[in-house]
Amino acid sequence: MRAIRPASAPKKNRRPNVKHLRRLTPLLTFAALLLLWHWVVAMRFYPTFMVPPPAAVLEAFVEALASGLLLEHTRATLEEMLYGLLFGLGIGISIGYAIAKMPLLERLLSPIIVAFQATPIVAYAPLLFIWFGSGAASKIATTAVIVFFPMLINTIVGIRAVSPSLKDMMRSLNATPWQIFRHLELPAALPVLLAGLKTSATLAVIGAVVGEFIGSGGGLGYLVTLARNQYDTPLVIVTVLTMTAIALTLYSFAAFLEWRLLAWQRRASL
Amino acid sequence: MRRIILLCFAFMLAAASALSAQNDLVDERILLTFIPNVQFAPFYIGIEEGYFAAAGFDISLDHLQEPEVVDLVAAGQASFGIVSGEQVILARAQGRDVVYVYEWFQQYPVGIVTPSAAQVKAVDDLRGRKIGIPGRFGASYSGLTTLLQSAGLSEADIELNEIGFNAPEAFCLGAVDAAVVYVNNEPLQIRHRAGAGDCGSITDVDVIPVAAQADLVSNGLIVSRQFLDSQPDAVQMMVSGFDAALQTAIHNPAQAYLASLNYVDNLPADADFVAELQKLSARQDLFLAAGPGPEQIAASRQAMRQTLAAVFDAAALTQFEVLLATIPLWEAERLGHTDLASWQTMRDTLLLMNMLDDAETELEAAFTNRFIQGSSP
Repeated sequence: MRAIRPASAPKKNRRPNVKHLRRLTPLLTFAALLLLWHWVVAMRFYPTFMVPPPAAVLEAFVEALASGLLLEHTRATLEEMLYGLLFGLGIGISIGYAIAKMPLLERLLSPIIVAFQATPIVAYAPLLFIWFGSGAASKIATTAVIVFFPMLINTIVGIRAVSPSLKDMMRSLNATPWQIFRHLELPAALPVLLAGLKTSATLAVIGAVVGEFIGSGGGLGYLVTLARNQYDTPLVIVTVLTMTAIALTLYSFAAFLEWRLLAWQRRASL
Repeated sequence: MRRIILLCFAFMLAAASALSAQNDLVDERILLTFIPNVQFAPFYIGIEEGYFAAAGFDISLDHLQEPEVVDLVAAGQASFGIVSGEQVILARAQGRDVVYVYEWFQQYPVGIVTPSAAQVKAVDDLRGRKIGIPGRFGASYSGLTTLLQSAGLSEADIELNEIGFNAPEAFCLGAVDAAVVYVNNEPLQIRHRAGAGDCGSITDVDVIPVAAQADLVSNGLIVSRQFLDSQPDAVQMMVSGFDAALQTAIHNPAQAYLASLNYVDNLPADADFVAELQKLSARQDLFLAAGPGPEQIAASRQAMRQTLAAVFDAAALTQFEVLLATIPLWEAERLGHTDLASWQTMRDTLLLMNMLDDAETELEAAFTNRFIQGSSP
């Protein structure tokens, strides 16, 4: 039986290489996309004013960064997104918790919730614009509305999934409602809540940008409109990529939170 | 029996011949901006009354944003598009070789609407006021910049507020003191709301049109340079077809409105209104047969409005009034003709707005009058 050990030794050495390769996978995808882009430009499938070469986009990025244009509009979008996220998450979690606890409330609110969820945000964003005005408030409202629903649904699902027997046990130990929430419901619902946060984080970018498309004097949605109207396709691509980077960063942050806050779950499963 | 068979055969022959004639038409799509609207009546009348078919085209219409129209035309994915003059200059500066071949709107349709109570009678009265604008781009921004410049003002003298395409709402809610609008459309809508008591404290509005201060190039037909060079006959036929349709729309707005019904959703069209329009259209045809002058035709249009206003309420009439308010923006001694001076004014405005870097932009290549009736080739 021991004769097997020497054979497994080289396997042990190979593991770090596989790990490194896995880390490189996104970079390889990125490089492949760049090559494909370059090839499309080189083959002249489209005129360069429609699909500019990667170098032109890089140049536009450097220019927009140096002039402060990109940072100024990114900051505007980030502010709207973060306030929208705060409001949307706060309201979504609060109402979601109340619904999870009171089935009557669910029967009362579910038709409205389902109706809103089924309606594309672009359809009612102009109404939010009229109601909340042309400033940041309408973009914050659009963001809050778009992140509200995933958080609401995940809160309901998360809180309802808590085992009734565990609740009974807490009650038999004379735990207060706050203690039940703090020590049982919140930790038990946390995986589902954090999954909702990850969805909401990416949706927040869409919310803010849709609001800016309807009418705005700043933000990345506005910058796309401006660049399109100035026929500056490289700047349009730079702005779209910036939106993607923000969404990815927020998603990664939510994933990091999940990894940190659910460390106990991983330890327990080991 | 024999007669019936002969009749059937003749019918089949006629149908086949009609079908064959239809098949000879070239499928073309014209890219328009905005959304289907009565302001595009010349295109609807061109299709409905066969002006485009007579020119050899089976036309379909698409509505896109101006930059998309320019890009698709420049890339050869569509042969014809309608955009405003400043888009042509901006697009050419960024490598899109498009050429403006027919000036549809002879007057720049942008202006500033203010509540009458605000007593804004001149551009200078706008100083310090909060003005709503769709955004810092496009015809609205060019128009505003030109207006301000005409009074020696700049953007720093006003408070500019981007409100998207929501001027009537923002204006009636009091979110802005004035708004940059299309003079033939939004002021009528706002007046209609004000008349219904649905526009806050506003009871009536005044409009300062850009056209009163400067001659800028407005909406017109564009093609790509490559298409123009390779198929000048097609361009000529399209221009001729559109020119005839535009003349008909100018001369007979009742007919233009009726043609729009098949294209514009939600256009007021109850049976009585349509019947009255049909009556007016037929009467206008008889009137036109007598060869009236432009003033008489303009008076006949107003007579049409009065006839309709005596029977129908403001809600039913608003879109017809939009059409009537648009027609003077199209009219000119020579329909379609565009002149270098207006292009220079437009370029100077774009330079002022920092949207154009090069003052040496070659404007002569941006347009041509060679397809316009009465122009030398």
